[in-house]
Amino acid sequence: MHTTVWRNRKPLEREMGENTQDGTPGSWFRVTFHFMQNGARFFVQEASTASALMDVSYKIRDEESRKIPVFVSPSAVPYSVRDKLKPEEMEQLKLTLSKRFDVSQQALDLQRLRLDPDLVGYDIDIFLNRRSCMAATLQVIEKYFPELLSLNLSSNKLYQLDGLSDIIQMAPTVKILNLSKNELTSVWELSKMQGLKLEELWLQGNPLCDTFPDQSTYVRAIRECFPKLLRLDGQELPSPVTVDVDTPYIVKLCKGSYFGSDELKSLVLQFLKQYYLIHDYGDRQVLAGAYHEEACFSLMIPFHPEDPAPSSLCKYFKDSRNMKKLKDPYLRVQLLKHTKRVIVHTLCVLPKTQHAFSSFVVDTWFQTETMLCFSVSGLFKAVEGSSQGCVRAFTRTFIATPARYASLCIVNDELFVRDADPSETQSVFSIPLPTPTSSSMHPSPSSSRTSCRHPPPHLR
Amino acid sequence: MRKSSSSSSSQGDRERHQGDRERHQGGSGDVFEQPHTSHGRQESRTRRDSGNPAEEAAGTTPMARPMDFKIYVDQACKAAEEFVNIYYETMDKRRQALTRLYLDKATLVWNGNVVTGLEALTKFFDVLPSSEFQVNMLDCQPVHEQATQAQATVLVVTSGTVKFDGNRQHYFNQNFLLTAQSTADNIVWKIASDCFRFQDWESS
Repeated sequence: MHTTVWRNRKPLEREMGENTQDGTPGSWFRVTFHFMQNGARFFVQEASTASALMDVSYKIRDEESRKIPVFVSPSAVPYSVRDKLKPEEMEQLKLTLSKRFDVSQQALDLQRLRLDPDLVGYDIDIFLNRRSCMAATLQVIEKYFPELLSLNLSSNKLYQLDGLSDIIQMAPTVKILNLSKNELTSVWELSKMQGLKLEELWLQGNPLCDTFPDQSTYVRAIRECFPKLLRLDGQELPSPVTVDVDTPYIVKLCKGSYFGSDELKSLVLQFLKQYYLIHDYGDRQVLAGAYHEEACFSLMIPFHPEDPAPSSLCKYFKDSRNMKKLKDPYLRVQLLKHTKRVIVHTLCVLPKTQHAFSSFVVDTWFQTETMLCFSVSGLFKAVEGSSQGCVRAFTRTFIATPARYASLCIVNDELFVRDADPSETQSVFSIPLPTPTSSSMHPSPSSSRTSCRHPPPHLR
Repeated sequence: MRKSSSSSSSQGDRERHQGDRERHQGGSGDVFEQPHTSHGRQESRTRRDSGNPAEEAAGTTPMARPMDFKIYVDQACKAAEEFVNIYYETMDKRRQALTRLYLDKATLVWNGNVVTGLEALTKFFDVLPSSEFQVNMLDCQPVHEQATQAQATVLVVTSGTVKFDGNRQHYFNQNFLLTAQSTADNIVWKIASDCFRFQDWESS
């Protein structure tokens, strides 16, 4: 069945397509959905489906409340289905393309493909303007040349790129594309491939090149489709005026730990090492020595509304103080652990852990004479209970004041814990953790008691 | 910003810390130059002086908190919630106004890069691509007065997702130190320091 959806007045084609799609099962549009002037045309297979569509004619409305007519007429099997290459034709196409593939360059040269003797000899017509032919070609590329870097489609009489637009999904690695000596008349055709991260493009010999008043307008228009383009028609492009602002740029900026100075680095690292040795291997009561009498501690874990099943972080859940969820002022006070006695009690009840020092990233982000703020991110492993072996990621922010003997006294402590992503955990826990030595690890009970008010010797 | 409890042991503590503070003080370049006083502070001081010996005596029950601590927590929560709404909205929609939320000498540590002062911050945010932040988590704590030289200060911790220029989504963690700045008729919270990191900064 051949269905056409019409609109009376000037439509915005895209919007109409989406509107119509909203109310219908998705698969109807798979078969040659395309826009024709004021309408969108597609095929459905069943007469019952077509009749259901006809029933909504003039009943559904667009966003401007205009009624949308639907026309249905019986039709033969659409070209795209009818022209689908037979398996033996696909095989011959694959052989032809393989001959034209240069593995060392990851380059595929499809110049004048329709005239290739390997195809003509077998009486196979490959006209890349046909969707079925372009689709078959892209399928071969996807399956056999998944790392393709360079694609040459010059001299193929291409006047539209509807079929090639699938290259974004099927050959996303392509960086060099040659479309020269075709019959493209408008940049609109190129914009169908927007999203392809092209670095080099050849367009000379297409009518569209002559539609621009000057070279810079031409370059700008092409660059709008392909912002990462470095070369056009063999010419190096001037660097864009604006900074290249996509994700790689952002990520390139990222650096490791920031300490500010070597002194702070050794102070903070020494502190963290001692803190986590006691935290992981010692008696957490001893950590009292690291906290100010009136220190604060709180923690939070992610809350996933889409995943109501009990999180593996449930041991942390009852203390989680995520104020995005927790609105009760009383609970907000309750969950902010205040005074070192309460904090140490809380820490002692939290699950036993092993922190991976090698994973630590530290930012020392504020310093005055009287305070030091630093945050440490990294990984730890649960070492007991049902979640034994689970790897978590954490970020912990400390605010500390200077204490005696060049050590630190924690006044604020905020802990964020989440499940670690498998990609993060690779190799981290294969590195052996620092083995505790008897002197620093198991301080005698008396030493912890006497040094209550100030950090115990091993924290100094 | 909190006052010590009135129990004798922490009284002793306070004196000792006072001494510490004098020893460590004296940097005129600190962000926290002006000790801040407000009505709220005066009130809580009075409360503290009236004494609340229950706190130390109450053993492990977390119920026994001095009233002034609760006031500071409420104040911190209110400041943090208001701030976070304004900050990320400004970041996403009115980037050019963002530095108004920072103190003149504020510092930003952004994925390990340090940016200090309004001029550098303006430049940094100018170059940073347009953003779509979503904050999923928020926590805050009043920062102890001993660290802040009695300048009302709140630690704000956020976590969520961000897309720069509509690109791939990153999870992030961010910390802020907010300090209360008194103006003619009210208190304005400004950022003294800001620390931002992608959770996946290494694998990106």
